[in-house]
Amino acid sequence: MKLVSRHIDKHGAGHVTLRPEDDEDMWHLYNLIQKGDSVRAPAVRRVQSVTSTGSTESHRVRLNLTLDVIKVEFSASGAPGAAAQDAAADQTGSSSATATTATLHISGPVTSENQHVRLGAYHTLDIEANRDVRIEKADGWDSIAISRVEEAIVPGRGAEVGAVVCGEGTAAFCLLSQHMTLVTHRISMPIPRKSASSGASQHEKGLQKFYATLYDSFVRHIPFGNVGLKAIVIASPGWVRDAVFDHLVSESSRRGDKQLHKALKEKVIKVHVSSAHVHSLVEVLKSPEIATQLKETKFAREGIVLDKHVFFKMLGSDEMRAWYGPDHVCLAADRGAIGVLLISDDLFRASDPTTRKKYVAVVEAVQQKGGEVVIFSSMHESGQQLNQLTGIAAILTFPLDIEVVEAEEREEEERKKLEAEEKEAGNEYHT
Amino acid sequence: MEGLNLNQKDDTPGTPEEPPKITYAREKLLEEARRSLAAEGQHDRKGISIVVIGHVDAGKSTLMGRLLYESGRLDEKTRRANEHGSSKAGKSSFSWAWGLDGTTEERERGITMDIAQQSLTTPHRQITVLDAPGHKDFIPNMISGASQADCALLVVDSATGEFEAGFDRGGQTREHLLLVRSLGVSQVIVAINKLDQVEWSRARYEEICALLRPFLVQTGFHPSKTKFVPVGAMQGVNLAAREGDDAKELNEWYSGPTLVDLLDILEAPTRDITAPLRIPVSNVFKSQGSGIAVAGRLCGGVVQVGERLRVLPGDESGTVKSIEIEDSSVPWAAAGSNAVLYLTGIDPVNVSIGSVLCTPADLVPLTTRFTARIIVFDIQVPITAGASVELYHHSRDVPATTVKLISTIDRASGKVIKSNPRVLTKGTSAEVQIALRPTGSTNIARGIPLESFAVNKDMGRILIRRGGETIAAGVVLDIFS
Repeated sequence: MKLVSRHIDKHGAGHVTLRPEDDEDMWHLYNLIQKGDSVRAPAVRRVQSVTSTGSTESHRVRLNLTLDVIKVEFSASGAPGAAAQDAAADQTGSSSATATTATLHISGPVTSENQHVRLGAYHTLDIEANRDVRIEKADGWDSIAISRVEEAIVPGRGAEVGAVVCGEGTAAFCLLSQHMTLVTHRISMPIPRKSASSGASQHEKGLQKFYATLYDSFVRHIPFGNVGLKAIVIASPGWVRDAVFDHLVSESSRRGDKQLHKALKEKVIKVHVSSAHVHSLVEVLKSPEIATQLKETKFAREGIVLDKHVFFKMLGSDEMRAWYGPDHVCLAADRGAIGVLLISDDLFRASDPTTRKKYVAVVEAVQQKGGEVVIFSSMHESGQQLNQLTGIAAILTFPLDIEVVEAEEREEEERKKLEAEEKEAGNEYHT
Repeated sequence: MEGLNLNQKDDTPGTPEEPPKITYAREKLLEEARRSLAAEGQHDRKGISIVVIGHVDAGKSTLMGRLLYESGRLDEKTRRANEHGSSKAGKSSFSWAWGLDGTTEERERGITMDIAQQSLTTPHRQITVLDAPGHKDFIPNMISGASQADCALLVVDSATGEFEAGFDRGGQTREHLLLVRSLGVSQVIVAINKLDQVEWSRARYEEICALLRPFLVQTGFHPSKTKFVPVGAMQGVNLAAREGDDAKELNEWYSGPTLVDLLDILEAPTRDITAPLRIPVSNVFKSQGSGIAVAGRLCGGVVQVGERLRVLPGDESGTVKSIEIEDSSVPWAAAGSNAVLYLTGIDPVNVSIGSVLCTPADLVPLTTRFTARIIVFDIQVPITAGASVELYHHSRDVPATTVKLISTIDRASGKVIKSNPRVLTKGTSAEVQIALRPTGSTNIARGIPLESFAVNKDMGRILIRRGGETIAAGVVLDIFS
């Protein structure tokens, strides 16, 4: 994403103009734009005009519109045709800039009138790549939003990784970038199991067919020729990954696809995972082969923080130091106990501005006390797992018993209530 | 039985393109099934299925291969071919295992990867043998096999260090035993294998028995239903007989039953033939001619040739052309048998491993969310609300989440200890709500066929795994449809 202009004063008021370039930028915009913001972007609108003779004429006009945002919609996979074109373009190696497949729609009433559109008419903006978008925040820019912009405009972001998670008869093709995991394609084929009556031949035949399908999908869905793609991970339980890799290599040399052959030799990393589901991508990220390669990338960091290494491990070893759930984490934040805060970007997208403010306050409080804050992208598997774990969790610097804390809170509340009652009683007494 | 076919009675008007017709009315079929089950074992052999479990390289396939040969199921010609082939591949010690490990990859690697189903006859039993893989990556396949079994045969390696490796934390001996118990298997035979490698030492045999016994009791196997037997699978010692030079050393101190003797007295569980028909599919393959073959174990009810069956999930149904049990064609099959059904009038893409077949009148419910009572195994990382897990149900595994931890329960009294617990640590019993995670491009989870344990025991058992480790087992209490 490119930053075109930025005018934010010290109170947070002002606007930012950004130029999205790829799928990930759409995701950033989706996280930035909230209900109530005002967004200006180019749009195509069908305008109807009535001539003096009474006949209607309609034509499309390209114009800039400013909306008062009511709804923001994001969809990771756009038209399948676009994806196929994308893959085709990559295959020839002619295009290194990937076309966007993600779509972002912003709807709301128009706030600035022009000759074609009335004030207050509804419009849905379809945000396009390489077109400027100006965002003005209703409640000003908070620290989270500003850091998001800064993160989004860093040029040459971290590694992109292609991954194939496969089992016998199933495969999921994924593309991992800094903030997103896109499952671009899935294969699910029935493979007859070995049995006494039919023998093993049907099983082998099924496997061969599966490998052949996998080869075709690999060529279509993994942009292996792209320089931006740092590594291709083939992950599976058992030995399927070896068989898949061997098949890809032999098939590519048989077909004389030199580019694929070279990419396979240079980029492929085989990783063992315990199941053939997409969620075992988390295991991929923590495996030593991958961790060293992608050490500095955001998704590797997220996976490590959430996974066994830190949060879940702490939950196992010292339950009093691993807390989750908004209420509990807020209590811990009040006590200044948070060492590492794990929070999903889902929470910042809350349609209710007070909810967002609450979480922003928690993040700022933790940062002030020198704690670390990791914001998880809910487009990654690790973020999705955090979302299921209420979206917020914390590792405390010292153990706190949740029940003691809750009891304290209750006491405090009761004390306050009592005080208020006493006051009231006192007032009554005086009157 | 064939004689009964003479007084044929059709209760459905057969359509012309469906040649197989329903032979019995439902009541008559039930009566017939009940009569024949009661008569079983008197002049006929009782049918029973057994899953072979144990740590990787304990010799499960070798033991079964040898046993099949001793009982005459594996002919001399195949044995020679296997012997020749394996020694040519430099793996002569896998010669017996090749009888069950049929695929190229299994043979190359010398490891069982998927369930092999064979049948075996002892004087009083007709046994379906399911040889399970021991490697931990293939536990999904092992679960699929174990959910089709009535009894288990645990094979342990007695070689120094090997037994310990399999029995220690992370070894498959423990996990397999827990799994089969959780799937409703209550009888187990423990075959202590490779005793030849420790000079048929009685002390070693007894040491292993002493180590296993408390664990078996703790896991929930009744001592009267657990049997131990020393064997040497490779030489065939104490499988069917204890004769010859190889058995001399064992004969000095052992005079108990052989493995086949023990197999012969396994008790067949009760079969619920009046329940609605449920067949969880464990294998789908092409049959000769048109149509498809579907293998699976009947978890309830009876099925007969000519009946129309619905496949769930999906909207497809097909007609049963013929039924095969243990390689012989039969007119009907009842709960508890592992049958191969040949279906016609159905598109093979609509039947997959993990589907459930049932009668159109009595469909199995599909669900994406249910409550379950679970027992948490020996885990290091506790289960939280929202934990990502894999749910295993028969031959199907799907990603799921523990949406809500409802309460922890006292195992003995069933009383609620704590409601809304924050985490579930090892050894606790709890009530939880589980939801399936969406797969595929749509963000909607697809339902799987499931029933509560109270309705159908076999259909109501689940296992929960995470990161290649089984973390809990349980039964379904309520389903939300």
